[in-house]
Amino acid sequence: MYIFFLIFDMNTSKPSISTGTLAQLLGPKFVARLDTLDVVSRKILQGRLHGERRSKRRGQSVEFADHRPYVPGDDLRFVDWNVYGRLEQLFLKLFLEDQDLTVQLVVDASGSMTTGEPAKSRFVQQLAAALGYVSLAGNNRLTLSFFADGLVTQMPHMRGRNYVGRMADLLLTTPFEGASDFEKACRQIAAGRIGTGIVIVLSDFLFKAGYEAGLRQLMGRQYDLYAIQVLSPQEVDPPLGGDLRLIDIEDADESEITVSAALMAHYKRNLSAYCNELGQFCTRRGGVHILATSSDSVETLVLNYLRRVRLLR
Amino acid sequence: MEWLTPLTGLYAAAVAVPVLLLLYFLKLKRQEHIVSSTFLWKRAVQDLQVNAPFQRLRRNLLLLLQLLMLAAILAALGGPLLSMKPGEARRYVLLIDRSASMGAADVDPTRLQEAGRQAKVFVESLRGGGMLSLGQGSDQAMVVAFDDHADVMCSFTSDKRQLTLAIDAIEQSDGRSLLGEALTVAQAFAQSPGVEGNIRTAESPAKLVLFSDGRIADLDEIVISADEVEYHSIGQSPDNIAITAMQARRSYEDPQEVAIFASLVNYTAEQTSCDVQLSIDDNVKAVRSLTIAAAGDTPGSAVVSFTIRHGDAAVVEVRQLRADALAADDAAWAILPAPRRLSVLLVTQGNPALQSALAACPLDRLDPCTPAGFEAMDQGVLDVRQPYDVIVMDNYAPAKLPRGRYLLFGAVPNDIGISITGRLDNELIADWRNQHPVLKYVNLGNLFAAGAHQMTLPRDGEVLAEFASGPAIALVRRPGGTFLLTAFDCLETNWPFEPSFVLFCYNSLMFLGSQSVSHLDTHLAVGQPIQIEGLPAGTAARLSGPGIDALAIEANPSGVLRYAATGRAGVYRLTWGSDIQRLFAVNLLDDQESRIEPVREITAKGQTITAQPNVVTRANIELWPWLVAAALMLACVEWLVYNRKMRI
Repeated sequence: MYIFFLIFDMNTSKPSISTGTLAQLLGPKFVARLDTLDVVSRKILQGRLHGERRSKRRGQSVEFADHRPYVPGDDLRFVDWNVYGRLEQLFLKLFLEDQDLTVQLVVDASGSMTTGEPAKSRFVQQLAAALGYVSLAGNNRLTLSFFADGLVTQMPHMRGRNYVGRMADLLLTTPFEGASDFEKACRQIAAGRIGTGIVIVLSDFLFKAGYEAGLRQLMGRQYDLYAIQVLSPQEVDPPLGGDLRLIDIEDADESEITVSAALMAHYKRNLSAYCNELGQFCTRRGGVHILATSSDSVETLVLNYLRRVRLLR
Repeated sequence: MEWLTPLTGLYAAAVAVPVLLLLYFLKLKRQEHIVSSTFLWKRAVQDLQVNAPFQRLRRNLLLLLQLLMLAAILAALGGPLLSMKPGEARRYVLLIDRSASMGAADVDPTRLQEAGRQAKVFVESLRGGGMLSLGQGSDQAMVVAFDDHADVMCSFTSDKRQLTLAIDAIEQSDGRSLLGEALTVAQAFAQSPGVEGNIRTAESPAKLVLFSDGRIADLDEIVISADEVEYHSIGQSPDNIAITAMQARRSYEDPQEVAIFASLVNYTAEQTSCDVQLSIDDNVKAVRSLTIAAAGDTPGSAVVSFTIRHGDAAVVEVRQLRADALAADDAAWAILPAPRRLSVLLVTQGNPALQSALAACPLDRLDPCTPAGFEAMDQGVLDVRQPYDVIVMDNYAPAKLPRGRYLLFGAVPNDIGISITGRLDNELIADWRNQHPVLKYVNLGNLFAAGAHQMTLPRDGEVLAEFASGPAIALVRRPGGTFLLTAFDCLETNWPFEPSFVLFCYNSLMFLGSQSVSHLDTHLAVGQPIQIEGLPAGTAARLSGPGIDALAIEANPSGVLRYAATGRAGVYRLTWGSDIQRLFAVNLLDDQESRIEPVREITAKGQTITAQPNVVTRANIELWPWLVAAALMLACVEWLVYNRKMRI
């Protein structure tokens, strides 16, 4: 199952801002387009600061949200006289209160991400850089976490464009190695998380221990979950044949196979089913599953598909 | 522990072990490939194994192969035989003719080897018992090789390997074919329990299986029924030209002149020409062309003669050059002694007849003397130096004789074991040994003795001629002396008037002279022993000849050097001391053996035995080796199928 992206041009009116290290991950034109985007939460969530996000909490802001009947003692300034004129009854206007958004970027830094041509690690570095830039440019609180066998490194509570360079540095310097323990990493991330927001997991999700326990940890705190599964073209359509001894890059587990058409068909079927199960798991729990390959265009994914699934606007 | 078929096991191992190792190492040769995770691949392999349409069939294929392998092994344990001859276990005596005629090459390579091959096929067809036979009997066989005597090569056994080795050990001989001794030996062994000590099978009569060309000389003397013998005739062609007689002799008048005679016989149905070559000490002296008539009721024959001058001792060889089936009778040899004459001492009071008879012999010198003169001689010189080859004593025998060779007429020396027990009168010679060298060509039929001693000889004395009442001429050998005696004074007989008297004198001198180790009987038939007497006990000697290279032999306590295994025709060389050498010519010269046409029906005393119409073929083919090989192959195939499974 492939995800097919349409690439379209988008003019941006805001000037592009990229540091030297960010330029190693994202091109200036792409960064300029990212300036026009912002992260969106599908559920209107409460943040700590008054930011530029809608919150479900009703407060005083310029954006009309709802009506309620007038009760003696309410502020007459918020009476909707248009409704009174029509219904000859008094109703008060209710307004949405803007709140800030916490974005958790969880990047898989295990050894399996180094496989593929192009490597999956490069793809997630670019994707994480793009999503991180959008988050910081929208004055959201960004926490960038890397996991392999548990949480490897984390840069929490970044806010503002000043953190773009440091975010890019962390993306470029964090090594992709070792075995993966997703459930342990998610537990650690969830334990250190404050508030609510969006969690975006960038990984291949090929965990022998499974992904369910880990995702449940991340979902349980009322976070918008976006599971972006990145596979390499060689994982989707393996160019293998003959008698092989497959070696798992993370735990050196060996598997001797004799590649045949039947075996290949079973593998692809299992891969497709696995991805579908992941997607259904996320959907049932209010999350979003996105499947991409490392040969896809990051720009197309960000500018097109992520907007379609309403992670970005 | 012994291995019955070690080569078979080695060949099977040489094939099976490398195949197994190759399959094993092929299994190991897999290309390594790094993947991000193996768990999806493992799931795919599991799904494939569960859902593969021929999964059950492949599992069943392994089961099928294992069942087939097991069936092959179980069948092999049952010891199946193909073309089995029915019946209980039996005993067989394999009689294999190794005589001269079996050396004919009309059957490739020779008749003897073809007989051995058929005998080995027969042995392979014997039903073996083995460890798993559960008490069933096994056939047994023994191998007897015969020519003019019989040798038991292997006693009764069911061990095929022993029997085969015994057959392979049979060597070609140039002797005659006499079956009587072989049958006697076979019948004697027939009651023995054999190598395995199987008393039960000793009760069953043994069947005789004869492999021969039928050229057996003593069939008339053999009593045997046709049911007892299974005769396999070996040979195809009668094509042979043989030398059946040969002689080389120096002229009495001129010892430098040598006359050589040879008689050749043609056994083929066509008139045949051949070249006859004469060689002296391996140097070809003459070649004569000869045409021999075709064989009809009797074989065609022709005589060739050569006359040469040769003053030394030599080996004379006559050889017919036409290639034929039997090479053993294409040549004959004779040992030509040097023209040496004897020195003889005659001790007599006066006997003109005797003296003139001796004077007629070609002697180097003849010294007559009286008994007194003999006694006056230095006995020590006579004893040690022995200046005379022969001493002839006429009615005189001293109390003590020096060592030497004596011809005594009418006198018996002391201390040689002969006693005179009486007197005989008016006696005629009743019988004599006309084949003895002393009496060759000597006719004693007219000899009349008016008076003679009645002699009692010792047990080792030889009677060469006898009266009706006692010995007339005797030969006694003692350490250091040979005594040829007549019981009568020649003057008391009519013998001096007979030509045979001179011949007797000549033969006696030549015979006694040969006992001085300068003249020996050097012409022997195949099988006749080589013998030299008068040597010190324990004298070491070396013998060389056809198939013999420097064989060490020793003189017995009686001072006799003897070698009896003259089974091949040719020249034998005996050497002892510093450089003393004697040559012996052993010839085939046998019409029965040279007539090589195979006989399909042999007739023993009144019984005709017909040869088997077909060549011996394998009667019982054991199938267990093939079943074991099949089990081995199935094991390799099963290993291959097992390894072709996809494994996790």
